[in-house]
Amino acid sequence: MAHEQGNLARALVAFGHAGRILTGKQIAGRGATVYHDDIFLVSYPRSGNTWTRFLLGNLMDQSEPVTFSNIESRIPEIYFNPDRFMRQLPRPRLLKSHECFQPHYPRIVYVVRDPRDVAISFYHHNVKARNLPDDYPLDDFVPRFIAAEFDSKFGSWRDNVLSWITLRGENSNFLMLRYEDMKQDAAAALRRMAAFLQRCSFRHLDQGPEAIQRAIELSSPERMRALEKQEAGSWVLTKGTRRDKPFVRSATSGGWKSQLAPSSVAAIESAWGPLMQRLGYELISDGNPSSLEGSASLGKTS
Amino acid sequence: MGRNPAGRGLTVFPNDTFLVSYFRSGSTWSRFLFGNLIHETETVTFTNMEQLVPIIYNQPDRVLRGLPRILKSHECFDPRYRRVIYIVRDPRDVAVSFYFYNLKVRVIPDGYPMEEFVNRFIAANVISYADRVGCWEDHVLSWVRLRAGREGFRLVRYEDLLADPGKELRTLAPLLGVDPTPERVERAVRLSSAGHMQSLEKKQSKDWVATKDTRQDIAFVREAKSGGWRNKLSASAARAIEQAWGRTMKELGYDLVMDASPAGEMVRG
Repeated sequence: MAHEQGNLARALVAFGHAGRILTGKQIAGRGATVYHDDIFLVSYPRSGNTWTRFLLGNLMDQSEPVTFSNIESRIPEIYFNPDRFMRQLPRPRLLKSHECFQPHYPRIVYVVRDPRDVAISFYHHNVKARNLPDDYPLDDFVPRFIAAEFDSKFGSWRDNVLSWITLRGENSNFLMLRYEDMKQDAAAALRRMAAFLQRCSFRHLDQGPEAIQRAIELSSPERMRALEKQEAGSWVLTKGTRRDKPFVRSATSGGWKSQLAPSSVAAIESAWGPLMQRLGYELISDGNPSSLEGSASLGKTS
Repeated sequence: MGRNPAGRGLTVFPNDTFLVSYFRSGSTWSRFLFGNLIHETETVTFTNMEQLVPIIYNQPDRVLRGLPRILKSHECFDPRYRRVIYIVRDPRDVAVSFYFYNLKVRVIPDGYPMEEFVNRFIAANVISYADRVGCWEDHVLSWVRLRAGREGFRLVRYEDLLADPGKELRTLAPLLGVDPTPERVERAVRLSSAGHMQSLEKKQSKDWVATKDTRQDIAFVREAKSGGWRNKLSASAARAIEQAWGRTMKELGYDLVMDASPAGEMVRG
C-alpha cells in the first residue's frame, strides 16, 4: 500500500488485511466488498428475509426454482459466504444482510415485521440453535429480546429498524416493506420490489402476472417446508441446528395475540410503542407509557 | 485474524467505553484529555497513546483485550457500543482539517483544489475507508438519532470542549469512573494543550504509528481552533456544505452563513 500512515490509512490497512483474509474462505460479514450497483435485502432476524429471498430469487431467474441448496449462490447471505465467492456473482448482485444502518450500502430493500411476532419467531429460532433449552419460558426470553442479548451485533429490533428508517427512510434508494403487507398481498409486494429493482437498473425482470404468481407459488410456506425437510442438513443456515425444530415456522402474522402473555406484549409495547405505531402496528396494552422511543430526540424521527 | 487490526471485528465488552467521532473532529485531543484524566501516574504521549487509549484500527483484537478499554473509534452507529462519548465538530472545520490531513498522508497532492476536495468530502468519497464510515451527516445522525438521551451516551461538541475543557471533563468523568478533582482536571487539561501536543509531535511524530510514514512537513496537530473555515473555505465551498447538511448543523448549534444573507435564502429556497 502506498500510504500506510495516519489513522485513516491505518484503518484502510485494517480493511486491506480483511480483504486479504477474505480472498480465502473467510466469511464476508460486515467486511463484505460492496459494489455501487449492489442491492441489499436487509431486515432484523426473523422478519421474513428468507421468504423474500425466495420470492425475488424465483422472479429474477425462472430457469430453476429457488431451493435451500441454490439460494446462497443466487441471493447470498453475507454471514455465510466468503467475499471471494460473492465477488464472482453476476452483477448487479442482490445480497442478504441483517446489519443496522450501513452508510455504504447503495440500495436497500428493508423488510420490517411486528416485533411481537419477531419475538416469538426469534425465541423458537434460539431453541433450534440450542441457545435456549426446550422448556425456557417465552416470557423470560422477551426482556432479553428487548435488550438485544441475542445476535447483539444486529442491535435490538428498534436499533435496526430505526437506524435504517431514520438515515435512509426518505431516500429513493431505500424501499421498506412490512412483512404483514407481504403476507396479505404478496403479489402487490413483489411488484413493488420488482419495480424498485428495475429502477435500480437491475437486470431485466419479468413482472407479468404469471411470473409473479409463479414466484409466489414457488415460495409458499408449504413448498419451503417441504424443501427444508429435504435440504436442512446441507443448508448453511440450518446445518448444525436442531432438526426437530423447523426453520420455516408458522409464516403467519399476529401469532403473538394467542402466544404472547399480556405482560410480554406490554413489555414490548412499552419499550418500542411509538416506533411500532409509526410503522402501523397497533398497540393493545392499557395505559401504554409514553416512552421516548421513536421520537428519539431532535425532531426528525418524531 | 490473530495479527490483523481489530477494526470492525473488535470484540466488544459491556463495560467498554468508546470515544467516537468522525475524522478530524478532535478525537486525538480527546484521547490525550481523557487519557490524562484517567491515568494519574502516566502522561499521555504519542508513543504510549496506543497503550493508554488505543484506537481500534491499529492493534489486533487479542492485544486490545489486554489494554485499558477506553477505545477510540471512527465507526458509524454500532449497536454493540454501550458507553459512548461522541464528539462532533463543525463540518466546515472538519473539511479544512481533513484536507490537510489528506495532504499529509499523500492521498491528495499539494495544490489540490479545496473546492474539489469539499465535494468529495460531502460525498464521503475521499478515501476508500470513508465510505464505510459514511459522510459527516450520516455519521453524526446515526449516533445522535439512535442514542441521544440514552444512558451511556454523551454528545460533546468539539467547540465546547475547546472553549472550556475542564467543564466538559467534569461532566464526563463519572461515565469514565473518575472522580474529577480540580487537580486531576487541571492536570489533564494542561497535559493536553495544543502547545504541549505540538511540541510532543515534533519529537515523536516519527515514532507514532499514525504519523511515522506521513509527510513530516505537515503537522498532525494543526491549529486546534474552531472557525478556521472562515478563512480557508471559499464561500461556495462553505455553501455546499451548508446545503448538504444545514438542517443537522443548525440542530447542533452551528450557525449557517446562508441564513445570514438574503441571497442564501434564495439559494436554499
